[in-house]
Amino acid sequence: MRPLVEPKAPLPGTQDLLFEAARRLRRCEAALCAGFEQAGYGEVIPPAIEAADVFGPEAFRALDRSGKLIALRADFTAQVARIAATRLAGMSPLRLYYRGSIVRRISPDTGPVYERLQAGCELVGASGAAADAEILGLASRSLDALGLAGRARISLGSTGYFSALAEAAGASERLAAALHDAVDRKDLPGLRALCEQEVPAGKARDAILLLAQPPRPQTAANEMLARAEALAPSDDARQMVQRLSAALAATRGLELEVDLGEVRGLGYYTGIVFNLYAAGSPRPVGGGGRYDTLLGRFGDPRPAVGFSLDLDALVPLAEFR
Amino acid sequence: MLTIALPKGRLQKPVLERFAAAGIRPDEEPGVSRKLIISAGPAARFVILKDGDVPLYVERGAADLGVCGLDQVLESGADLLTPIDFGFGRCRLCLAAPRGSKLGSQSALGEAAELGRSLRVASKYPRLTARWFARRGVPVDLVALSGSVELAAVSGLTDAIVDLVESGRTLEENGLVVVDELLQVSARLLVNRAAYRLKLEALLPLLERLG
Repeated sequence: MRPLVEPKAPLPGTQDLLFEAARRLRRCEAALCAGFEQAGYGEVIPPAIEAADVFGPEAFRALDRSGKLIALRADFTAQVARIAATRLAGMSPLRLYYRGSIVRRISPDTGPVYERLQAGCELVGASGAAADAEILGLASRSLDALGLAGRARISLGSTGYFSALAEAAGASERLAAALHDAVDRKDLPGLRALCEQEVPAGKARDAILLLAQPPRPQTAANEMLARAEALAPSDDARQMVQRLSAALAATRGLELEVDLGEVRGLGYYTGIVFNLYAAGSPRPVGGGGRYDTLLGRFGDPRPAVGFSLDLDALVPLAEFR
Repeated sequence: MLTIALPKGRLQKPVLERFAAAGIRPDEEPGVSRKLIISAGPAARFVILKDGDVPLYVERGAADLGVCGLDQVLESGADLLTPIDFGFGRCRLCLAAPRGSKLGSQSALGEAAELGRSLRVASKYPRLTARWFARRGVPVDLVALSGSVELAAVSGLTDAIVDLVESGRTLEENGLVVVDELLQVSARLLVNRAAYRLKLEALLPLLERLG
């Protein structure tokens, strides 16, 4: 006889959803998917395992029998990019959505993994402010569809601007990572110390110091963006601020905050980046951004922008009337 | 309502002074009763915690903001915003070894190689210690202790210790010397990532007055 299975609870970082919890999840998914479909997005269902190089170091990997490295899905966007760049190559614009779970390692040097339920949209083959605004608008309406109108906030920044500043400052990979960490933590004293020690005085340094400023509501953001543009040390940096301003202008009627310190995201974001927050969740409930170079990795260089929602965080908060 | 995680230890007094200067005063003095939650006017309250628990309360949103030393922030690995360095509670996280030992007299980490085994190090800061040695490529046999860390090196349990050093007197009285410095520590304001955005209107003026 086979022995009893010893771990009787699901692994830490995973869970069983029973009955009412399952019903709630499906109801949220249905509300979201209806909105995605209505906006002209079509569903894709990628596989749960992929060649490991589709994902970053956060993926949980294993060797298959032939010795090839494969990974559990760590990110839908990379899979959607693969699909768009291969079977759907050249078709622009593409509006795709997905839902399902991802599995990630807690950190690249630890074994434990966690599973998260997600749903999200990708708009492929469209650059420019209108596409950015479409995705921001859809993300915002998705939160409304879960009954979170008035309880959620969108915080908009630009990883592209940060990258352009780090490059203009001539920062090494190590310094860029340290600056990124300080900006991401709003650690102004730490950022100032780093800048004084390692970044030559000039526009790039002043612009980097501006990144740890608190967020501004949309109405008061123009002054900060004008300063960021005036301090831009390169054409690249200037363009990134202009794109952020244009996206902001194109999102009429949407309540946003501009936070130049909103720089976090998976490694592939190249322009605007945003996070979604909702009362009741201590961590962001979703986020997204522009990734203009990811499809190029699969042989079909095209711009794209998208977002994903963290359903584990959102489902308990959702309210249906 | 803002919930502020207040550390129990020696940081408590200066932290309360800074918050008082920013207009937030507890309705009763902490420690007089055994209450762990103390309101502070209509718009704020303090929760009183061990220093090391502050980062997790803030990360998980049970407190919107809090104060503790940078050592505790980094050791916890919590994902937080740290917008203000208060400048008090200054000390150093140091690697120390017995005076007269090879490590203690020659200061070079290379000495670890001569031992012919991993360096044994005791600390209350296993995560920070492991990361510091890992970055230097030095294998280390970590002994995580909860107190009297100096004793580990003196009694021969380990070759060295990693611990906070303020005046250096405790080390000296136990025959230990500082070999290297891992971190400059001071008290930091911690803010929950979501609270920072969702309670921006209440937080911004407070941050300005605290900073």
